[in-house]
Amino acid sequence: MKLTLDWLQSYVDLRGLSPEKLADHLTMLGLEVDSVSPLYPELAALRTGLVLAADKHPSADKLTVCKVQIGEQVHQIVCGAPNVRQGLAVVVALPGTLLPGDVKISKSKIRGVESAGMICSERELGLSNAHEGIMELPESTEHGRSFLEAMGLNDTMIEVDLTPNRPDCASVIGIAREVAGIVRQPLTLPVAGAAIDRVSDDFTVDIERPDLCPRYAARLVRNVTIAPSPWWLRKRLLSIGLRPINNVVDITNFVMMEYGQPLHAFDFDTLARKKIVVRCPRENEMTFTTLDGSERQLEAETMMICDGDKPVAVAGVMGGLNSEVTDKTTTVLLESACFNPVSVRRTARRLGLTSEASYRFERGVDPKGTIDALNRAVQLMCELAGGEAPDDGVDSFPGRTEPSPLMLDVARCNDLIGIALSAPEIAALLNSIGLVATVRDNAAIEVVVPAFRVDIEREADLVEEVARLYGYDNIPVSLPKVELSYPEQDSQRQRRLALARRLAGGGFTEAINYSFIAEKAVDMLDLSADDPRRKVVRLLNPISEDQGVMRTTLLPGLLENLRRNLNFQQNSVRLFEIGKVFMPQDGAAQPLETMRLAGVMCGNRHGAAAPLHYKEERVDIFDVKGCVQFILAALDISGADSDATFIPPAKDCGEPFSEDGYSLDISVASGKIGTLGKIRDEVLRNFAIKQQVYYFDLDFAALCEAPSDTRKFSSLPVYPAVERDIAVVVPEEVAAGELLAAVRRHPDKLIERCELFDVFRGEKIPAGCKSVALSITYRSESKTLTEKNVEKSHEKILRLLTEQFGGTIRHE
Amino acid sequence: MENELQSLEAEARKGLQELTDAAHLEPFRVRFLGRKGAFSTIMRQLGSVPAEERPRVGQLANTIKADIERLFEEKKEMLSAGQGRRGVTTPDLSLPGRWPATGRLHPISQVMEETCQIFEGMGFSVAEGPDVELDYYNFEALNIPAHHPARDMHDTFYVSDSLLLRTHTSPMQARIMEARQPPLRVIAPGKVYRCDSDITHTPMFHQVEGFLVDKKVSFADLKGVLTVFTRKMFGKELALRFRPSFFPFTEPSAEVDIACVICGGQGCRVCKKTGWLEILGSGMIDPEVFRMVGYDPQQYSGFAFGLGVERIAMLKYGIDDIRLFYENDQRFLSQF
Repeated sequence: MKLTLDWLQSYVDLRGLSPEKLADHLTMLGLEVDSVSPLYPELAALRTGLVLAADKHPSADKLTVCKVQIGEQVHQIVCGAPNVRQGLAVVVALPGTLLPGDVKISKSKIRGVESAGMICSERELGLSNAHEGIMELPESTEHGRSFLEAMGLNDTMIEVDLTPNRPDCASVIGIAREVAGIVRQPLTLPVAGAAIDRVSDDFTVDIERPDLCPRYAARLVRNVTIAPSPWWLRKRLLSIGLRPINNVVDITNFVMMEYGQPLHAFDFDTLARKKIVVRCPRENEMTFTTLDGSERQLEAETMMICDGDKPVAVAGVMGGLNSEVTDKTTTVLLESACFNPVSVRRTARRLGLTSEASYRFERGVDPKGTIDALNRAVQLMCELAGGEAPDDGVDSFPGRTEPSPLMLDVARCNDLIGIALSAPEIAALLNSIGLVATVRDNAAIEVVVPAFRVDIEREADLVEEVARLYGYDNIPVSLPKVELSYPEQDSQRQRRLALARRLAGGGFTEAINYSFIAEKAVDMLDLSADDPRRKVVRLLNPISEDQGVMRTTLLPGLLENLRRNLNFQQNSVRLFEIGKVFMPQDGAAQPLETMRLAGVMCGNRHGAAAPLHYKEERVDIFDVKGCVQFILAALDISGADSDATFIPPAKDCGEPFSEDGYSLDISVASGKIGTLGKIRDEVLRNFAIKQQVYYFDLDFAALCEAPSDTRKFSSLPVYPAVERDIAVVVPEEVAAGELLAAVRRHPDKLIERCELFDVFRGEKIPAGCKSVALSITYRSESKTLTEKNVEKSHEKILRLLTEQFGGTIRHE
Repeated sequence: MENELQSLEAEARKGLQELTDAAHLEPFRVRFLGRKGAFSTIMRQLGSVPAEERPRVGQLANTIKADIERLFEEKKEMLSAGQGRRGVTTPDLSLPGRWPATGRLHPISQVMEETCQIFEGMGFSVAEGPDVELDYYNFEALNIPAHHPARDMHDTFYVSDSLLLRTHTSPMQARIMEARQPPLRVIAPGKVYRCDSDITHTPMFHQVEGFLVDKKVSFADLKGVLTVFTRKMFGKELALRFRPSFFPFTEPSAEVDIACVICGGQGCRVCKKTGWLEILGSGMIDPEVFRMVGYDPQQYSGFAFGLGVERIAMLKYGIDDIRLFYENDQRFLSQF
């Protein structure tokens, strides 16, 4: 809602109140002031001038050479406007002036004639689009003055960000009423409230759908002369960005801004059978051309204003071209009505057409203010358009209700706000903004709510008014007195946070991506046609195709992040994300939302750490495997190191975006919980990535459910350990991890530990074989081991390795 | 054998005396003390010593060898200490340290966590809910029926007529109140969505919802709890104001502004010359919301608030473009 200080002052005396203070008052009343600024700061340098002489330009037909007096000085200015003439009062931009749109005026020669400035049109001033000629100021305008002062434009613009509950403040009078309450000044209204006592014989109003139109009032104004509005009216409209059209239309717009009541003027002579019918369209009336010239498709429930034959306006939204006020109009039927907010809102949405009128009707218009606004507009049409108005009209008010007074419980009001006001104090606050509050006894107040406050319907609404008027600043600050209780926390969430911290400590940076991705991302990952991740939750109204579906995997987001980082020469990237994926569920209203944990890594193993200490080493598959082991260990999941956890997928069963031979399925006791691997080059090309990238992708929710080890102390060994190394040559097909696992699983109690420390191929090793070196630690809980004890166990291991795996023990 | 031992000892001692350069330590060790060194060689001859002499000579040999070893170690230590004094090969301590691997949590996670911790400290529990939400919880249960103009305040992404991406975390109020009985102290952090994208809006952002329901909870309590939060998050000195506003699910409603952290309240471009920055919306839970979940509004009252995590992170760290949060550029993320 835009208004100017000068306009506001015509209803309430604000002398002595600075615009800033006023803005502060409004904001603290809940009418948040977005900005307070000079109305036309860019026009401050313009001057008024008087055209002393206007002669034809010697070498250009359409140009006029003017002598313009501005105070003491007379300037020669060449002007191209057809309406420039001797004796005209004009606006002049002298050389050096900067006009809106950064147009700098300078002295120049136009077709050989010197010109010192410019006589401006309204468009050049940024006031309106009018550019048919220069702006004509009233004859009485003194030359040499500041244009803004002379024209009453030296005003302050106030922009209020209205909340949807205050349609009463979508009007200058509404805001003035609030301000009047605060500054304790009377509110001066332009017309006194009066009813329409005599029913007009000239036309009838028939409301077929009283549920959609609780009130419809109209009056006639005859013998109007359509013409431009006087300056004061045009100025008001221009100041809030409305385009003046003609006196009749301008008056309807002005009164709407003044009272918040949308009005519509029909050319009475276009209305068939002198009738207004409020109804829905008939089957043959489903298209309708609005004032703006667009043909609109109507629906059966669209509420229309019709004459005796046909629709003439979309009720509450926009008038029709067929009944528009034109230059030839002489009799105006002025409508002031009240329409059902939901109906107007639906229509405006369906037609994609919102107007100042629909904005107000959607939020609720004061059903009692209908006649005031109507009478005010009629009065102005008589004054400004030479109209004559009979003092009759029609006021059809099927929705008339008498508001029942509300009761406010004083104790509850005080308790809810946290204050201790007396009943008379509370009543005084409510009365200051036009509510009628009567103290019934010290415990209760009866409040009659005026119709313009459509938002006040319940006791809670009155409590809000009391809090607001008392001033939020004045309400004390306290802490709730509650019973102590331990807040139970979501364990999955806590695991997530703890794990995120561990991952960050381990060198990964956390990413957060949008929950929506491009649908083509699943193609980019090369997912098979029957992959469940292709079944997506689709948005009906995405911002773009790139954000069209809810993600079913975190990887596209992370790969996109990787690409971006690589593009900015961040060559070593480790990112992880813990976030939801969304899977449609048959038969359920909502999709299944599952938390996943995924990561990508590429570049140097040591990241950007000091190259002095760390050699350039590229990350490989074991970095990503180690990372998943780290995650499992961090969550105390059994078997972080076990062979059952990491299994290469069967042929053609791995992730389609992961390279064969560089993929592992990750399983825990409860089942498969994810995969890791190296992203295939073809897939990376789809994401425009040229480096090798490793990934892991885990079902975090399943991970949290997986059986975990309880932490338990085991006593520290007191006897020394004996370490033996074995190198065993085995065929290539034998997985080193299996050897390791076999030793670890061996039942011999003396085996404490077994680690792999080398895998070697080459010289001295037969082709098709590799040497696997294991280090085994033996220890007894009860004694110091002798050479003999160890030998016995070690023999068993050697036998296991040779017999079970076909290995030969390698000796130096 | 004894003589040989003694001359070897003399030779070794002399060698040690002449040893002044750390580079010569290792050759000395190999020559005398190594596996194939002079002492080992001589010890192997012990077999040829008559049996009755053997223990004595053996012990002598061991003593001499031990002495030489001790002297060698002393020399080694001395030489390396001496190097320290001369500063020849001590490490250049101006070289950078060897960093352990370092990653970062996303600034949004950090601010969201900090927020949750402040409220957890006041006894709030944390709950999370679905991102793809029913129209009912996102709007209807919060007193925003279909065709209410308040829906204009939410540019909603729809999945179907009745399903949408939640536009705020407030549906958690209805979900939790439906499932539990007062007293309640809950915060609900999460992702929310609005179809809006520019320098100050991303189509997805984060909110933390919070609410407290009990007997005799007042607006003054709301002021108290949110004052604690703001002070913990932004520091003690910052001015704070509660300003009337409107949300369909709270009444009275308030927006909370803090003094502009950029200009200190003097007025600048960021605060649109008002000196204030809006950081959260709040209010007393509307009796209609209570009625819909079956609470008696005569018996219970409560307050609710919702704060924008990005907004707070931007103010806290001086970030001027909200889109940076979702580009996941390591150069950005590593700053927090």
